[in-house]
Amino acid sequence: MARHKLPNGDREEESSPGNEPTYSEDGVDLTLIRWMLSLTPAERLQVLQQSVESLLSLRDASANR
Amino acid sequence: MPAPTANYLAILKTLHQHKVKFIIVGGVCAVLHGAPLATFDLDVVHSREPDNVTRLSAALEELDAHYRIPGRREMKPSPSHLASEGHQLLMTRFGPLDLLGTVGKGRDYNQLLQETVEIEIGPALKVQVSTLESLIKTKEETGQEKDRAALPVLRRLLEEKSKS
Repeated sequence: MARHKLPNGDREEESSPGNEPTYSEDGVDLTLIRWMLSLTPAERLQVLQQSVESLLSLRDASANR
Repeated sequence: MPAPTANYLAILKTLHQHKVKFIIVGGVCAVLHGAPLATFDLDVVHSREPDNVTRLSAALEELDAHYRIPGRREMKPSPSHLASEGHQLLMTRFGPLDLLGTVGKGRDYNQLLQETVEIEIGPALKVQVSTLESLIKTKEETGQEKDRAALPVLRRLLEEKSKS
C-alpha cells in the first residue's frame, strides 16, 4: 500500500485500497468527501440531521452526569 | 424550555409551502454539495422584494420564529428588518434559522441567483442552492476565521467533484 508524506512531515498517510490518497496535502480527509459524494443531496441532509442530533444527545448525556 | 432540535427539512418545507424565494448558503449548502461538515443553523439569503417579505413573514409566523435572545421570545423580525441588508439570527420551532439580506461583499438574492443550482431534497421539494464555486467565493470575501476554516474542505470537494 502506498504511503505519502504530508507537507508538515510529522504524519504519514496511507492511500486507500483503490490507491486513491486518503488525505489531501492540507490534511482534508478525502474518504469522507468521496463517501458524501456517493449519496444523494437528500441523503446528505439526513446525514447532517443525524450528526447534529447525535452531537446534541452526547452533549445532553454529558450535562446530565 | 429545551432548545428545539434542528430540523432543516421542516424549515425548508415551510418556506417552500409559503412560496418564499430564497437561496441556501453556508453549512447546509456545503453539505448538500457533499461536504462532510456539521452545522447547527440554516443560512438562507432571501429576496427582499415586498411580496416576498410578506410571504416570508407568514412562513416565520408558522415557524414561531423569534430572535435568538434568551428569554425574549416576543422579539420577532418585522417586515422592515426582513427588507434590510442585515442578518436576522432567529430561533424557530425547528431550530436556528439565519436570514441574510446580503452575504460576502454585499451580494443580495438577485445577484446570487445567477450562481445557484436547483437541488431536489425531497418529494416535490426543490431548492435553490449556491453553487460550490459561489459558496467558496463568499467565504473568501467574508474573511472571517470560521469561514476560512471551512475553505480547505470546500476546495478539496470541488477538486473531487471535478474528477467525477
